[in-house]
Amino acid sequence: MVGKPVPKVDGAGKVTGQAVYADDIDLPRMLHCKILRAQLPHARILSVDTSAARRIPGVKAVITGQDLPIRFGILPVTQDEAALEGEKVRYVGDPLAAVAAIDEETAAAACDAIKVEYQELKPVMSIEAALKEAADEPIQSYPKRSDNIHRMVSYEFGDVAAGFARADHVREDVFFFQGSTHLPMEQHSAVATYAGGRVTLWSSTQVVHYVHRALSKVLELPMSRIRVIGAAHGGGFGGKTDPFAHEIVVAKLAMLTGRPVKCTLTREEVFYAHRGRHPVLMWVKTGVTRDGRVTAMHFRSALDGGAYGSYGAASIFYTGTLQTVTYDIPAYKFEGARVFTNKAPCGPKRGHGTPQPRFAVEMHLEKIAREIGLEPVELKRRNFVKPFSRAVNWLRITSCGLEECTEKVLTASGYANRKRQPGRGMGFAISTYMSGAGTAIYWNDMPHSEVQLKVDRTGVTLFCGAMDIGQGSDSVLAQIAAEELGLEARDIHLVTADTDTTPIDLGSYSSRVTFMAGNAAVEAARKMRALLVAAVAERMGVTDLEEIDVADGRVGEFSFEDASVLAEEKFGALASAGSYKPPRIGGPFKGSGVGPSPAYSYSACVVQVAADARTGIVTVERVWIAHDIGRAINPLLVEGQVEGSVYMALGEALMEEQVYRQGLHKWPSMLEYKSPTFLETPEMHTFLVETDDPEGPYGAKEAGQGPLLPVIPAVNLALQDALGVWIDEIPVTPEKVLRALEAKAKGEPPRFGPRGFPSVPYPEPILVEPPDPADLRVGDELELAFPMKGGGPPSAGAGRSPSPPGPPRAPRVR
Amino acid sequence: MRVSVPKSLDAALGLLAEDPQAVVLAGGTDLMVAINFGRARPEHIVSIARLAELKELVAGEQVLCGAGVTYTHLLQRVRDRALVDAARTVGSPQIRNAGTIGGNLGTCSPAGDTLPILAALDATIVVVSRRSGERRVPFSDWMRGPKQPALEPGELVLRAEWEEAGPAQAFLKAGTRNAMVIAVASLAMVVDRARRRVRVALGSAGPTIIRATAAEEMASGLIEEVGWERPLTLTEAARARFADLVAAAARPIDDQRGTGAYRRHVIGVMASRALQRTGAAA
Repeated sequence: MVGKPVPKVDGAGKVTGQAVYADDIDLPRMLHCKILRAQLPHARILSVDTSAARRIPGVKAVITGQDLPIRFGILPVTQDEAALEGEKVRYVGDPLAAVAAIDEETAAAACDAIKVEYQELKPVMSIEAALKEAADEPIQSYPKRSDNIHRMVSYEFGDVAAGFARADHVREDVFFFQGSTHLPMEQHSAVATYAGGRVTLWSSTQVVHYVHRALSKVLELPMSRIRVIGAAHGGGFGGKTDPFAHEIVVAKLAMLTGRPVKCTLTREEVFYAHRGRHPVLMWVKTGVTRDGRVTAMHFRSALDGGAYGSYGAASIFYTGTLQTVTYDIPAYKFEGARVFTNKAPCGPKRGHGTPQPRFAVEMHLEKIAREIGLEPVELKRRNFVKPFSRAVNWLRITSCGLEECTEKVLTASGYANRKRQPGRGMGFAISTYMSGAGTAIYWNDMPHSEVQLKVDRTGVTLFCGAMDIGQGSDSVLAQIAAEELGLEARDIHLVTADTDTTPIDLGSYSSRVTFMAGNAAVEAARKMRALLVAAVAERMGVTDLEEIDVADGRVGEFSFEDASVLAEEKFGALASAGSYKPPRIGGPFKGSGVGPSPAYSYSACVVQVAADARTGIVTVERVWIAHDIGRAINPLLVEGQVEGSVYMALGEALMEEQVYRQGLHKWPSMLEYKSPTFLETPEMHTFLVETDDPEGPYGAKEAGQGPLLPVIPAVNLALQDALGVWIDEIPVTPEKVLRALEAKAKGEPPRFGPRGFPSVPYPEPILVEPPDPADLRVGDELELAFPMKGGGPPSAGAGRSPSPPGPPRAPRVR
Repeated sequence: MRVSVPKSLDAALGLLAEDPQAVVLAGGTDLMVAINFGRARPEHIVSIARLAELKELVAGEQVLCGAGVTYTHLLQRVRDRALVDAARTVGSPQIRNAGTIGGNLGTCSPAGDTLPILAALDATIVVVSRRSGERRVPFSDWMRGPKQPALEPGELVLRAEWEEAGPAQAFLKAGTRNAMVIAVASLAMVVDRARRRVRVALGSAGPTIIRATAAEEMASGLIEEVGWERPLTLTEAARARFADLVAAAARPIDDQRGTGAYRRHVIGVMASRALQRTGAAA
C-alpha cells in the first residue's frame, strides 16, 4: 500500500455531497447564532444595551462579554482573547455580543438591535506606528509597554562579528512581505449541544484538542464534560488552528438555552477571523567570501501581528529560525519583534512565518551573487546545508535532498541554457520546512500523537485524534495500517478527530500528521500484526514467526478474517496502540523550543514568467518543482499538496493582500480579495525526491507547506530575469513593476521596495555557543525517538560518536 | 419581501406599471450580491427569468439581442468579436449562465464588461413600458451616470440592437486575474470598414462608459489615407499619439482596484494594442 497513488479514502464522499460538514448538521430544535462584531478598529466599550434585541420575537438568548469573561488564546503566554469582548474592541470584526434565535435572519436582526456605546481610541495601523508611543493607550495591556510591541527576541549563534570580519563582501537589503489570508473554500462553522451536563461541539477546526482545552477553560467545565468532534473539513491552511469565539459562543448558548446552536461565519467574518500571513518587514545583512561562501548573517524582522497574540510568539521565531537549516550559516544573529495593530489577528498560514524570510533571503543572495560576479544558483549551491549535520543554532538536519531537488528542476527547466530575451525570464529558489514541531503548544511530556486499532468480526477500525483537513491524513493512516496488516486502504475503517472516542493527536498544523500520527499508526499496526501472526503460527504449528507472510489479505495460510478469529480466540478482545513523541532535539538555550523538528523537507523550484513591460503584468507560464518528501506514502496526495502549495504561492506572489483603509479591511469578499483561478494556474512539473528519512514513517517527511516557500522568490527572480527590475516587496503588482521600470529608465536603482528598516528596541542578544557540527546528539536523549526498521544513519542509538554518520542511501527520484 | 414571477412580458409590464418601485431580477449576479451584503432590501422583486420574449437572439447583419440573453448564449451565437471576447471573460461559467446583457444594461456600472462594446458598436437600447410602449435609446444616451440607466419608472429593457460591424474589433481588459474580476480598466475598439466608422469606448475609466472621440477621428483619418478596405501599417509615432488621445479621454479615479495613474497608463497601452489589431484586420 505504501507508495501507491490511491485516491483519497474520503474523496468520493466529498465530491458526491455525502460528506457532512459542520454547516450541514441540522439538529431538532436547533437555534442559529449570529455574532455582533465591532465596527470601530480601536475603542473602549462604554455600554452594551441588549434590551431591544431580547424583545424581538424568536430571540432565545443574548450574551455579551460579561457572560464569557475568561480569556483564552492558543499559546499559554498569550491568553489575550475573549470570546466576547466586554471592555474594549481592538479591530473591526472583534466579537462583542451574540444572539441565539430561531433562524439566522432573526439573530441578525437582533444583533442590529444591540446598542453599543464606544469611546473611540486612535487606531494603530502600521508597524511604524506601533513602534511609537501609543497616542492614548496600547492595544493590549499585558506587554506593560507604552508602545505596541508585543514581544521581541534576540539571539546570536557563534561569533557574528568575526564572521563579518572574515567576509570579502558584505551586503544589506530591506524587504517587505504583505499579509494575506487563507481563503479556504469552507467558512468556519460550529454546532453545539448541551445534554446530560455535557457539551458536544462539532466544528470545522484543524485541532480538536486545542478547541477542547479552550472550551474547558472559558466555560469552566472539566474536559471530561466536553466532547469536540471535527466535522468533514473544507480547508484550513492554518486559518482554523486557533480556538475561535464562535466555537465558545455556541457552546455557551447551548448551555443557556438547552437547545442545539449553530454558527456559520459569513465570508466577511472569515476575513476578520483571519490568523493569516503576518506582514513582515525584514532587514538582512550577509557576509560572503570571494568564492561565495557565507561567513555570517544578521537578520531582523518586524511582524505586524494584528490585534491579538494568536501564535505570534512562535511566528516571530519562525521568521528567523529556519534560515540555518536551508543554508549553512556559520555565524548567525537573529532579532525579531512582533507588534500589535488594530487589524484582524495574524497567525499561522501555510509556511507559518517562513515564506517571508525565504523570499527575503533568496532575493538577497541573488543580489550578492550578481555583485560578486557569481552565478546565483552556484552561490546558493555552495551554501546548501548537508544531510546529517547540525546547524549553528543547534537544529538537527537528518535526510536532505536539496542537491537532488536542485538538479532535477534545473535540468527539467533548462535553466542554465535558457534563452535570454526581454519580457521572459526564469527564477530559481529553494526552501526547507519542518515535519512537525518538536514541541507541543503547551508544555507536557505526553505523546504528540496516539493511534488505537481494534480488530474483530467487523474488520479493522483505526482510532486517531488527527483531523483530516483535506490534506489526506485519513488516507495516509489507512494506507499505513493496511500496509502493515496486508490489506487495502479501503479495508480500514477510520474514526478520527473525536475527543471522546479517539486518542489524542495534536492536530493538523506544522505539517506534523503524516510524520507523527503515521509513526503511531505503524507502531499500533505492527503490534496488531504480531497478535495475528502469533495466533496463525500457533495454528499452523510454525515456530519461526518470520515465515508467516502478512500480505494480500492473508496472514500465513489464513484469510485476514479467519486470522482475526484465531487471534481473538487466543487473546480475547483485539486492541493495540501506538504513540509518537518527537525526540528532544532543541539546543541548550531558552527559546530553543521553536524550530526543532524531527525532520526537514526540502524543495527547489524554477519558475518561468512572461512580463509585459508596458502594463507591468506578470504571467507565470511554467513551474518546475522538486520536493524531498523522504518517501511518498501516497504520491498522488503528495503531488496534490505540492501543486496546491504552488497555486497558493502564486496568489501571494502576484495578487493577494490583506490590507486596510481607514481602519477597515479593504476587501473582505472573494470578489475583491483577488486570488488566482484555474485560468491563472500555469503548467506545473512536479518531481518527488525520496531520501528515506530515518525517523519518518517508511522514511516520509512533510509535503503540505514547504513547497509553497520557494515559489514566491522564484516568481520574483524570474521577473528580475525578464525585465531587470527588483521588486523587494510581495505581492508583485503591475503598478510596482512599472514604478521600478520608471526608476530604471531614469537611471535610478531599478527597484521597488521599502526604503529602510525602522528602529526597533531589540533586547541584548542571548549568546549561544554553536554545537559541534558533527555531533547530531543532544544530551543523553536518543536522537531517534522512533527509528524505522532499515532506515537511518548508522550511529542511531549508538554511543556518542565524534564522526558524522555515513551518507544515507542514494535518493530516488520519481 | 414580495417576489413576483410573471410568465409573460405583458404580465411583467403590468406589475411594473402597478409598482414602479419594484426591483427587476434577471440573472441575479448583481442584485443577489447586494441583498446578501445587506446593501439592498427591496420590498418587491419582479423576476423576469421566465420571459421567453426576452431570450430571443437574432444574429444576422442586424443583431437583435434580447435583454434576457445570457453571456453563455451570446458566446454561442454572436459573431462580433469584441463582444465575444468580453462575454468570455465575464465571471465564471456559472455566472455566464446566469448573467444577462439586460442585467449589464440595467445595472449600468462603468465596469460592466459588455457596455464599452455596445458603445463601440453604436448599439441602440430598446425599452418598453405599459404606459409608453417601446422607446429607442442610442447607447450614447443610455448612461446618465454611474448606475443610472435612462430607464423611466415602469420601463423594462427589452433588447439591444446593433449592426454587425465586421472583423476589425478588439476588446482589452486589465485586471488582477483573467476572470471573476471587475476590470481595472477596459477598452473596446470597432473599425466598421463597411460604414467607415471608428469607435473607441472605455470601461472603468470614469463615471460612465467614455468614448474617445478625438482618438476616433485620428484613427479614421489614418485609415482614410490608406483606404477603408486595406490593412493599416502604423508608425510608432502614430500609435503613441493615438494612445495619448485615448488616455486623455479617460477620467479615472483611485480606488481599491487601482490608482487613477495606473488606469490612465494602461488605457494608453491597450489603445495602442487595439489600434494595431483592428488596423491589421481588414
